[in-house]
Amino acid sequence: MADYNLERLNFLIVDDNKHMRALVKSILHALGAKNVLDASDGADAFKELRHYPADIIICDWNMDPLDGLDFTRLVRTGNDSPNPFVPIIMLTGHTEMNRVVEARDSGIHEFLAKPISAKGLYSRVRAIIEHPRPFVRAGLYFGPDRRRRALASYMGQERRKDAEGGKDGEDGDLSQAEVEALLNG
Amino acid sequence: MAEDDKPQVIHAPNPLSAKVTKGGPGAVDPTVLEKAEQVIAEMSGEYLNWVAEDLKKIQEAFEGLKSSGGTKENLEKVFEIAHDMKGQGGSFNYPLITTVANDLCRLLESLESAGAKETEVIRLHIDTMRVIITDGMEGEGGKAGKHLLAGLAKVVAKVNG
Repeated sequence: MADYNLERLNFLIVDDNKHMRALVKSILHALGAKNVLDASDGADAFKELRHYPADIIICDWNMDPLDGLDFTRLVRTGNDSPNPFVPIIMLTGHTEMNRVVEARDSGIHEFLAKPISAKGLYSRVRAIIEHPRPFVRAGLYFGPDRRRRALASYMGQERRKDAEGGKDGEDGDLSQAEVEALLNG
Repeated sequence: MAEDDKPQVIHAPNPLSAKVTKGGPGAVDPTVLEKAEQVIAEMSGEYLNWVAEDLKKIQEAFEGLKSSGGTKENLEKVFEIAHDMKGQGGSFNYPLITTVANDLCRLLESLESAGAKETEVIRLHIDTMRVIITDGMEGEGGKAGKHLLAGLAKVVAKVNG
């Protein structure tokens, strides 16, 4: 694992759970980050972005009033977005296949399943540093290149199942390695 | 995406490459990573306070669920807390909390409302999480942990008949 110095990076943590914010903040500080700001939901975070030049955002999914997906879409496509290209790591307890695909399609760079470890978080930060992704504008999507096009048919099925009121009981939880394969091809 | 939509590729600016250096003092080497893991371990005392708070909140949400007659809205309130518990347990060497909370989340997500049977199964999961914390079942919880999970599965199967 390459050794990077993170002290000049600005991190923004977005999570409605104060304990998770405290945990992620402690890990980032332990990894040498000096500038770590936090916000309790997507709307607050978007306001922070106006004056805080975040280099990496670590964002929860379930938040009110603006959840992690809406926040990501706002950052990517909002007219007044201060930085549509900022790398976003989605940090969430949702690890089912359809959820991971949904997160990917909102325009995140990386996905990290809770519960987290320092190694897990660093590996996602490292992936962002080592693999800068081109952005793609395709239809309504604007965000990092999603690469794995073969997945489109699978996504279609999941959406139909959801529309029919189907539950995700058939969707197993994905391991972090499977999530990474799904996101990065 | 419509067939005639041609994806446009944009090479995004990469300010990170200018800000991140490799190696040297302050870089994240294996020792720093181990220390960071240790920082999490040192927070486990705080975690026990957090989870005690969550157990109290989930019990209150469960009481609300019961008195509401098992509405979707109240199921979601229980889900929200169970989801937080799922996301934290494993970081602090309580993977059993993550396992049981995950099972509870999947059950709650699948329900539109909760009748007597479902309410009982929800209660069993909450009680199991309480036992895990009260008995300090860290890691896989040894033999007792195995028994507890097997017992939960058995009772859930019985309730579901």
